[in-house]
Amino acid sequence: MNAAEYTRNDVPDEIVIRDLGVTFQDNKGEDVQAITGVNLNIKKGEFVSLLGPSGCGKTTLLRCVADLQEPTDGDIHVEGMTPKEVRLQHKFGFVFQSPVLFDWRTVKKNVELPLEMMYQTKQQRSERADEMLEMVGLTNFANHFPNQLSGGMQQRVNIARALGIRPDILLMDEPFSALDEFTKEKLHEDLLRIWRKTNKTILFVTHNIQEAVFLSDRVCVLSPHPGRLSAVVDIDLPRPRTLDMKETPAFNQLVLKVRNSFEGGSFS
Amino acid sequence: MDAAQRKIGRRKSLARRLSEDKKVQAAAAVVLPVLLGILIFGLWQGGVLQTIFRTDSFTLPAPTRIASLFRDNFGKVVTNARDTVTVALAGLIIGSLLGYGAAILASFFPNMGKGGLSIVGAFASIPVVALAPVMNNWTRDVSTEASSRSMVAKILVVMLIAAADMGLNAYRGLTELKPYAKDLMATYAAPRRMVFLKLQLPNSVPYIFTALKVSVPASIMTAIVSEYFAEYITGVGRQIRENIVLAQYATAWVYITAACIIGLLAYVILMIVQAAVMKRYHF
Repeated sequence: MNAAEYTRNDVPDEIVIRDLGVTFQDNKGEDVQAITGVNLNIKKGEFVSLLGPSGCGKTTLLRCVADLQEPTDGDIHVEGMTPKEVRLQHKFGFVFQSPVLFDWRTVKKNVELPLEMMYQTKQQRSERADEMLEMVGLTNFANHFPNQLSGGMQQRVNIARALGIRPDILLMDEPFSALDEFTKEKLHEDLLRIWRKTNKTILFVTHNIQEAVFLSDRVCVLSPHPGRLSAVVDIDLPRPRTLDMKETPAFNQLVLKVRNSFEGGSFS
Repeated sequence: MDAAQRKIGRRKSLARRLSEDKKVQAAAAVVLPVLLGILIFGLWQGGVLQTIFRTDSFTLPAPTRIASLFRDNFGKVVTNARDTVTVALAGLIIGSLLGYGAAILASFFPNMGKGGLSIVGAFASIPVVALAPVMNNWTRDVSTEASSRSMVAKILVVMLIAAADMGLNAYRGLTELKPYAKDLMATYAAPRRMVFLKLQLPNSVPYIFTALKVSVPASIMTAIVSEYFAEYITGVGRQIRENIVLAQYATAWVYITAACIIGLLAYVILMIVQAAVMKRYHF
C-alpha cells in the first residue's frame, strides 16, 4: 500500500521522506547500511508508527527527521523546510526512550527548560508549565524532584516538556518501552487524548505491534539488514480508541496483518 | 519435625534480635567507636600505650600534659594555625578555580583536553617533598619579604594539588551526562552557552564535592608538609618539626593535635556545605 493512496488525500503532507539512506562505518571501518531507500509521506495531524525489531533503523530514521543525525542519501522535507530549519524554529518535540529529566530541577522547572531556551518570560514559562502538567495529570507533583517520581510519571513529565514548546510535530522514540503494562496502557490513553486535543503530527517509534496498531493511523513496518520500509498498513479502527478495542476481532486481524507484513512473515 | 523446620520454629536469641534491631545498630555505630576512643585514651593516660609502643612519656606525653601545654600556648597555636589555614585555603580556592577552568576548557576541546588534564594529574602526583623546594627556588624574587615569598611558595604547592584534583573530577562532571541529554538540548536548538549553563554546569556539582572531599584534607596536609621546607618559620607543620628538632616532644604533640583539629573541622564544614547543597538540588 502506497502512502499517496492514503484516504485523507485532501490533507497536505507535513513530512516528506525521499529515498532516505543512512550508512555508518563500523569499528573495522566497513560501511554498514542502517537504512536504505525509505520513501514516506506523513500528513498533518496524522499518527504514524515506525515499527520493527532492533537493528531495523527505526530510531535512525526518527533521528534524521529530528536533525539529530545527517542522512547519507536522499532528503527530508518538513513543511517544505529542511529538518535543521525546522529544529531551529522549535517545531519538533522529541520524547526520548528514557525521560532525561534533570535531577537538580523540580518537575515544573524541567518542563520550563525548553521554554528558557526560547527566551520566554518567567511568567509565560510558569503558566505554560502549569498548563502542560495539568494536561498530563501531574499538577500536584510540580514541586517534586524527578527521583521522587515513578517511571511512568517521569515519562509523563518528558511528554509535558516536549509539548510545552507547542511543536507542530511530536517525535517519540520508544517512549513507553521501559514501563509496565498497566502504566503503558494508561499512558496510551493519555497520549491519544492529548493528541486529539492538540492535533499534533506524531511519529512514534516502537517494537511493540499491539502498541503500534492501537495508537496509529498508519503503521510503517521496517525490516532489518539493511533497514528498509517493507510495508505500510492502514489502521482503520474508529477513533476515539478505547482499551476494550484490543479485544475485538478487527484489532486482532490488524495485528496479524502487521505481523505478516514483516519480510519472512515473522517478527524475529 | 526435621532440622530446617525446627530452626524456623525456634525463637531467635536475644543477642541475635538485638543485633538486627535498627535502633540498636544506629546506637552501636556511635557508641562503639566512642568506647574504643575512651579505651585508647585511658591506656595512653595510664602509660600502658607507651609500654606497648616501647616508648616513654617524654616522647609520648600523656593527654592531660598535652592539653595543659595546649592551654598555656593557646595564643601561639592560634597564630600558627591561622598561617597554615591561610595557605591551605588560598591554595585550595585558587587551585580549585583554576582546575575547574581547565576542565571547562578541556570539555570544549575534548581531543586535547583529556590528555592535557592527564598531564596536570601526573604533575600533581610528584611528592610534596620534591615540589616544595622547587617552588621555594622559583619564588625567590617574588618579594623581598621572606614571609611573603615563603607564603607564595607554599600556596603554589597546595594550588597544584587542588587544581589537578578539581580538574580531573570537574571534567568528568562536565562530560559524563545522562544518555540523550545532549540530544535533548539539540532538539531545543540550544546554543553551546546554554548547554553549558543549563546542563553541564549543574551536572558537575556532585563531582565538585567528590574533588573537595579529597582536596580539602590534601590541601591541609600539603600546607603542613610544605611548611617543613619553607624559608620562613611559621605554621603548624613547621612548629611540629621545630619542636621535634629541639626534642620538645610535648609541644610537638600540641601542634599535632592542632593539625588534627584543623583537618577535622575543615572536613566537617565541607560535609555540612555538601549536605546543604545536595539537599537543595536533590542530587
